Amino acid sequence: MKDVYFPDIALIDNIRDETGDVKTFTMRFKDPDIQQNLTYRSGQFFEVSIFGVGEMPISITSTPSRKDFFELSVKNAGLVSGALHSMTPGSQVGIRGPFGNGFPYEEVFGKELLFVGGGIGLAPLRSLINNVLDNRDNFGRITILYGSRTPGDLVFKDEFGVWQEQPNVTMLVTVDRGDEKWTGNVGVVTTLLPKVEIESKKTVAFVCGPPVMIPFVIKDLLNFGFTGDTIISTLERHMKCGVGKCGHCCIGDKYVCVDGPVFSYREMKAMME
Amino acid sequence: MSRYEENLWIITRDNLFALMGVFIKTREVIAPVRGHGGEVIFYPIESIDDVAWDWQYVNAVLPPKRFFLPQTEVMFEYRYDNDYKITPCYDDQVRMIFGIRPCDVNALVFLDRFFGGGSLSKKSPDAEPLFPDSYYIRRRSNTFIIAFGCHQPGENCFCVCCDSGPFLEEDYDLQLTSMNGEYAVEVGSARGLKIIYGNEHFFRMASSDEVKELARIKEDALNKFGDTCAYVSKAIRRVTQAKVDDSLWEKLGERCLDCGGCSYVCPTCCCYNVVDIPLSDKSGIRTRTWDSCAFAGFTRIAGGEILRSDKKDRLKRRFFHKLSYQYIEKNKRHGCVGCGRCITTCFADISMPSVVEAIRRQQ
Repeated sequence: MKDVYFPDIALIDNIRDETGDVKTFTMRFKDPDIQQNLTYRSGQFFEVSIFGVGEMPISITSTPSRKDFFELSVKNAGLVSGALHSMTPGSQVGIRGPFGNGFPYEEVFGKELLFVGGGIGLAPLRSLINNVLDNRDNFGRITILYGSRTPGDLVFKDEFGVWQEQPNVTMLVTVDRGDEKWTGNVGVVTTLLPKVEIESKKTVAFVCGPPVMIPFVIKDLLNFGFTGDTIISTLERHMKCGVGKCGHCCIGDKYVCVDGPVFSYREMKAMME
Repeated sequence: MSRYEENLWIITRDNLFALMGVFIKTREVIAPVRGHGGEVIFYPIESIDDVAWDWQYVNAVLPPKRFFLPQTEVMFEYRYDNDYKITPCYDDQVRMIFGIRPCDVNALVFLDRFFGGGSLSKKSPDAEPLFPDSYYIRRRSNTFIIAFGCHQPGENCFCVCCDSGPFLEEDYDLQLTSMNGEYAVEVGSARGLKIIYGNEHFFRMASSDEVKELARIKEDALNKFGDTCAYVSKAIRRVTQAKVDDSLWEKLGERCLDCGGCSYVCPTCCCYNVVDIPLSDKSGIRTRTWDSCAFAGFTRIAGGEILRSDKKDRLKRRFFHKLSYQYIEKNKRHGCVGCGRCITTCFADISMPSVVEAIRRQQ
């Protein structure tokens, strides 16, 4: 069996600037067999190695329904992500994984779905959104609410139009502070909730964003009739190993890298820091 | 008794010295030796004269953890030559740990469960449920364990409160106990028995009186622990149910120097950090090093935020991990083996017994 600590080599095929400090990297494993046999769930993550610099956990932003490549959207926020940002197409990185539990998928067949994203938090949600849209018949109405600090911080802008065109999909975007060109919504992402029609009894909400955003969104969702089991979110930790050994991501008795990073609000409430 | 073989053997000190001489030639033998400051440490020996014998010390200042999880361990080398090539750096050295105490053996068993397998997760649908740590497993399976039973508890020992001593019932290859100037030898594994049969001329079968004598020695050793009414189970229940008032962790947090010493000397602490070290533009190594949940940076995430920035939260975390039923269920025992090293090491008196006692007093 392959050692869980050994990365496989992946090639960067394409790099797309999302914002001033976020880039989306399209990659594939150098070994075609590994790429072909790659399966993952939306919400899972890879441990990305920049050899000589280090390793970091990054959620997979591509959908498992599209083969031959995978995508990672990375904010330049530290040593390893900074090193990745300085790379060019053709560069090689190390990849371990996929790790973690991933979002419920088969479990929410037949449900209406609400996605609430903030900033780079849209990256893991994008994987699930595209997976759901590629398997549209399995799901009911889809609502996507997305906010960022400024118009310049919105990620995956190219895809907003594609998503909005799909039947039975509503997408609203807002920014905390607009600029002279911005004509859309202004305000935090929770201000979008009253603007859409949601039947909370039939809906599962997926919430990803900066830690400061999550409690406000959850509070409003609970007011809209969502419950601990129908609010799904992710926790951010610096998982060094990804396999429940290094101890860095432990909260209470949970290893975020193995038991998470996806948790229901009910599970999160029961956790002890 | 769950000895591999019911027979008890006896070896004289001279024969044991001679047998050890044989082992030193065929494998790396780790034994307690006296350091320059007079302290006893586990160290590879070249001669039997280096050994600090069991009547000369109670336990080593550090557990032999580093022979299974080195303080810094090279995981692999990478080299770039148009493509990256990764070469694993496994340590397959055949070793023997001689003179390890029962508390430290129980700590190894704890680490075996943690690193050696057993699912950490019940709800990880597609992920492989088992993530064996090959580095630990290779070292562990190549290490032969000769344990020394303890007649005499040290001033900080409390293994009897943690079901991890002063003698082993299982999980050893051979267990030696000083008896009438000789050693009683118990056999705990097939490879232990192989040592006996491969070197039969060094051993003799114990008489029925000697069997009784060993039982008496074990009973006596237990009695030397004196009045050992520990409150570990009370602490376990309170920690598990989150019934320890935060004021206790706050008080301890004010004292904690966040030096991480408790983790480094603890035989069951095994959190690690991962660090790449470039050796040239095109090559380097990935290492892992001991880490501690006592350090502020332990929970730092991208962007610089530290999730457990308060010392009280870090201490709460440490003792939740050691004592809670949630972890007992995963590891099949609580995370303390009663070696007492945190008592010796912590400047701020934040040790397992002192915290258990503080939890008991908090009504």
